[in-house]
Amino acid sequence: MTPRAFLRRPSHERALSLAAVVIVALMAALNWPRFLTEGNAISMAYQLPIVAFLSLGMMVTMVTGGINLAIIATANFTGIVTVLLLRALAGDAADAAGAGVALVAMAGGLAAAMAVGALMGWLIAYVEVPAILATLAFMTLLNGVNLVITRGYTLSGFPEFLIAIGNGTVGPVPIPFLLLVVAVILLGLVLRRTQTGLAFYLVGSNPVAAAYSNIRVRRVLVRTYVLSSVFAALTAFIMMGQLNSVKANYAESYLLVSVLACFLGGVDPFGGAGTLAGMVLAVVILQVVSTGVNLLRMDPFFIQAMWGFIILALVALSFAGDRLRERRRLRAARVLRGAPPAASPPAPPAPKPTAAVTPGERS
Amino acid sequence: MNEFLRLEKIHKSFAGVHALKGVDFDLRQGEVHCLVGENGSGKSTIIKIISGVLQPDTGRILVEGRPVEHLGSAGTMARGIQVIYQDLSLFPNLTVAENIALPEIRERGGRIVDWGRVKTVARAAMERIRVELDLDAEVGELPIGVQQLVAICRALTSDLKLLILDEPTASLNDRDIANLLAVVRDLQAHGIAVLFVSHKLNEVFAVAERITIFRDGEKVATLPPAELDEDRLVSLMTGRTLEKRRFTFADGAARTALEVRGLSLRNSFEDVSFALRAGEIVGLTGLRGSGRTELALALFGIRPAERGEILVDGRPARIRSVQDAVGAGIAYVPENRLVQGLVMKHSVAANATAAILDRLLGPLGLVDPARRAEAAAHWIKTLGVKVSDPAVAVQTLSGGNQQKVVIGKWLATEPRILILDSPTVGVDVGAKSTIHDHVRGLAARGMAVLLITDEVSEAVANANRILIMRAGRIRGELGTAGVEADQVQRLVEARA
Amino acid sequence: MPKDLLRHNETWLVLLIVVIGAGIAAANPAFLSFENLAGLLKSYSMVGIMAVGVLVVLILSGSPDVSFTAIAQVVEYGVAVATLAWGGNIFLALLAAGAAGALLGAVNGAVVHFFRVPTIIVTIATFNVYFGMLYVITKGKLINVVHPMFREFGSTLLFAQTSAIGGRYGLSLMPLVWLAAALLGWFILRRTLLGRSIYAIGGNEVAAERMGMNLLRTRLFAFGFIGLLSGVAAVVHLSIVQSVVPNIIVGKELEVIAAVVLGGASVFGGKGSVLGAVLGVLLFAVLGNGLTLLGISPYWYNVAIGVVITVAITNSAYQRLRRERARVHVRVEA
Repeated sequence: MTPRAFLRRPSHERALSLAAVVIVALMAALNWPRFLTEGNAISMAYQLPIVAFLSLGMMVTMVTGGINLAIIATANFTGIVTVLLLRALAGDAADAAGAGVALVAMAGGLAAAMAVGALMGWLIAYVEVPAILATLAFMTLLNGVNLVITRGYTLSGFPEFLIAIGNGTVGPVPIPFLLLVVAVILLGLVLRRTQTGLAFYLVGSNPVAAAYSNIRVRRVLVRTYVLSSVFAALTAFIMMGQLNSVKANYAESYLLVSVLACFLGGVDPFGGAGTLAGMVLAVVILQVVSTGVNLLRMDPFFIQAMWGFIILALVALSFAGDRLRERRRLRAARVLRGAPPAASPPAPPAPKPTAAVTPGERS
Repeated sequence: MNEFLRLEKIHKSFAGVHALKGVDFDLRQGEVHCLVGENGSGKSTIIKIISGVLQPDTGRILVEGRPVEHLGSAGTMARGIQVIYQDLSLFPNLTVAENIALPEIRERGGRIVDWGRVKTVARAAMERIRVELDLDAEVGELPIGVQQLVAICRALTSDLKLLILDEPTASLNDRDIANLLAVVRDLQAHGIAVLFVSHKLNEVFAVAERITIFRDGEKVATLPPAELDEDRLVSLMTGRTLEKRRFTFADGAARTALEVRGLSLRNSFEDVSFALRAGEIVGLTGLRGSGRTELALALFGIRPAERGEILVDGRPARIRSVQDAVGAGIAYVPENRLVQGLVMKHSVAANATAAILDRLLGPLGLVDPARRAEAAAHWIKTLGVKVSDPAVAVQTLSGGNQQKVVIGKWLATEPRILILDSPTVGVDVGAKSTIHDHVRGLAARGMAVLLITDEVSEAVANANRILIMRAGRIRGELGTAGVEADQVQRLVEARA
Repeated sequence: MPKDLLRHNETWLVLLIVVIGAGIAAANPAFLSFENLAGLLKSYSMVGIMAVGVLVVLILSGSPDVSFTAIAQVVEYGVAVATLAWGGNIFLALLAAGAAGALLGAVNGAVVHFFRVPTIIVTIATFNVYFGMLYVITKGKLINVVHPMFREFGSTLLFAQTSAIGGRYGLSLMPLVWLAAALLGWFILRRTLLGRSIYAIGGNEVAAERMGMNLLRTRLFAFGFIGLLSGVAAVVHLSIVQSVVPNIIVGKELEVIAAVVLGGASVFGGKGSVLGAVLGVLLFAVLGNGLTLLGISPYWYNVAIGVVITVAITNSAYQRLRRERARVHVRVEA
């Protein structure tokens, strides 16, 4: 990217990249020399994909103006379905099963996740249940189903193929990281180059205008939640490989982290805006901070508190930035036109079309 | 009659734009005074200054003969001045009674809410204008006309001396307008002055004692209606006599592009039949609530019709979705540009190409960014959208340029039938005539155009035929040759 | 009149509770025993008290507060430590807990107001801050012995009876605290100008501001109120369990929000009633209790709740769609 092009990027991404550089430098300095080692880079490359996949799955729903509170529950459900299929196909020898069996089981898990996504999407798009409610309900429901199936136990013993997905490498590069790179590239194509992906943004910003613009809003919404669930399934496969087990309530604390990543990455919580570049920077920053603080042997709960402080600081900064820009804009306008320094009221925000769409108005 | 309010030499600028240029204005106690002017003429600024939302840069304000320094919102209410904005500022989740009584309770009621008193206050306000409303109904569930009455009742709970109504009839149907005008006369009988802002000239003539005309930030004149007629008023508003160049359509042999037979949708319209030939511009006019927009929505597949036939180029077309309509070559420029027409926060380019993403595909079925940019640039140029960079958000454009983006978005789908719903609402005079010229140009090249409009004069000047809709049915059809706007207006407002 | 009644969400909830309760009672008559019902009310008191606060914030801001469990957790720990150190009595403990909670909650209100950020984002942040700092400061140590005042408060029984096997049972004071919180919430929302301002701001913030309502004060109050109730709920919880496990309350936030939404509160703000929120919690209580009485594995609890929530929200969304379809756009002439 040329320096010019970099400067033209949204200011949020610019700030994020600078923040990333500063944070990497800071963590490297604090943890000299342990942070800037190949070993540490590789261990980060193993950890990053889980948060990243969950955050991307959260992002697509937020771009369309929704949220997916069921994403962790979907991931655990995927893992559990995959294990059940493995056991059904390979019996007691599940841990010795070949790649073919593992792939079939995983396909089943993925299909289950997509079915969950389609159901939630249907409720949101066709019955017009608010996304926060539909996914909250599915979160509760799936958590229950997961518990009923596993009776609270940890299920373990997976074939090598699955373990390799979580722990294997190609050359020095961990497979989960490769998967993430591929997924980011594909998602980038979807968001910028496909009709559905471009429609995510239009629907998120104004579902009514999108419906009036030859966009099948309902279908787009269903696809959003299916895609989000695919990311949940990917998370599930990596977690299975790394932990060699599934459980009803793994990774529950990541739900808030994934929302945080979206906010940090500049996704508009009301929908319609958010870039993949911002998301990637956000999850990298989160990972660097958490690894760096870990190396310092800091209390993990201190890290959790720090996340909170970071959001609050961001909120304050972005507010201050908005104010500053607004003031500069007004001053510039005055200077340009040589007008008296009369305080004009800030323009009211453009009316956000409400979600109250009459039934026929979303095709 | 005594003077209630006087403004002297009011100046007001916004970021260099001189919105009011030394305006003098006076208003008498208990009079109905209408304020007319085009968009951007300064009439809404003057209202904001009277209501205390804005402070003038220079000039004097006198209320009942006494000069006032700063007329903040609270100060105006204390002086008996209330404004009802177009958005009404009601609470949709609260009941009628609470909406009416809340300001009064806040002023005098103490911290505890006495529900008995809420109802008493609300009833008293309703009795003053002799309306009966269900006090327990939730306001959000009520039709807009009733909500308007709730807002008026709310204003009446204070010691009201001047009520300002900002385009109160813009979203009302005929019955509600008649009600409202009756209420306005009633207020006057109680000695309350009403400042009525409207762009519907027939209402202005029906209700005003004096009319003040604004143009380009200046007051042009204040006159009683007896000294004005519609043509004179329009020329005072626009600063020129209305151009009378009419649209004409001669090609009697043109093919029928769209034919509708017995189209019906419950609670929307009934048994609608008409035909539209290629190259024709047919005006569809009627009051709000007459079913004109509902008919358009059915033709465009948003709320499909239940019964009847739609034929495009003589072949039956099944229109159940927007995609069906676009496939059949129908495009629709919707009534509400802000909500239905554009995704305001997104770029001009994204909006201009939103409807044709499926035609901009490159290899692998991916949208080709180069073709997308090209298509956006093409339509920006063709329609003369004034924008420096197609990447800027469409919300930064003026109303006229925004409307051109919407039209461009639809022309990009290469339609053969174009439905325009109130295309020049909120568009300034210059952009208005550009849009009209462009539509005429499209018709000349064989587009069949259905022009839906509130403004009968717009239909008379720009269409060769007019369909008149009333209460869900088409009640009349006439050619525009030799017809004057007021004749059509009478047909529109006629009661069954 | 009956038709009017059916329009209210609360009526449906009562019917649902009665039907489910009747089913459970038919299978196991012990459900209707005084002992069982009193126990059921006691164990859901904490959630019930929190629900009243969640409702108030949801009505005001149309976005849920998720930090209240962290506030309760912090207050519970603090109160347990402070009473061990300084003694005092249960009223002082309730007062201090409420005040501390209100302060922590008001921070949310201030951030939401001054930085204009959705409640859910702000409260995710403060959740992490409060809960993380609690662990940092306390190192996550359990407190196994608490001041006896909590035991006394928690085990005081009204209408005490002795069961056949010799245990004592009766109506605990905890549900009375819940009742008091609900009545207070009802009074504020229904009968005070402040409460009506909360609805008004939730319904149309711009109009509320135009009318001269004080947005800052209202927000500080609403977020302070949920904090206060979280503090009180913490004391109730402490009195029931008589120990502090510093992560026992967090994680319940979505269940409480679900109960409130089930009670008819709108996730877009401006709508909801205390009665509905109480009934929502009661429905959860009956479901949980019923599963136990029917000998069904507690693992089914979430499934049951998930199904009930799904059905309820789907039904209300569907009803709205139907009303929308029946809307008269044009009065068509015959």
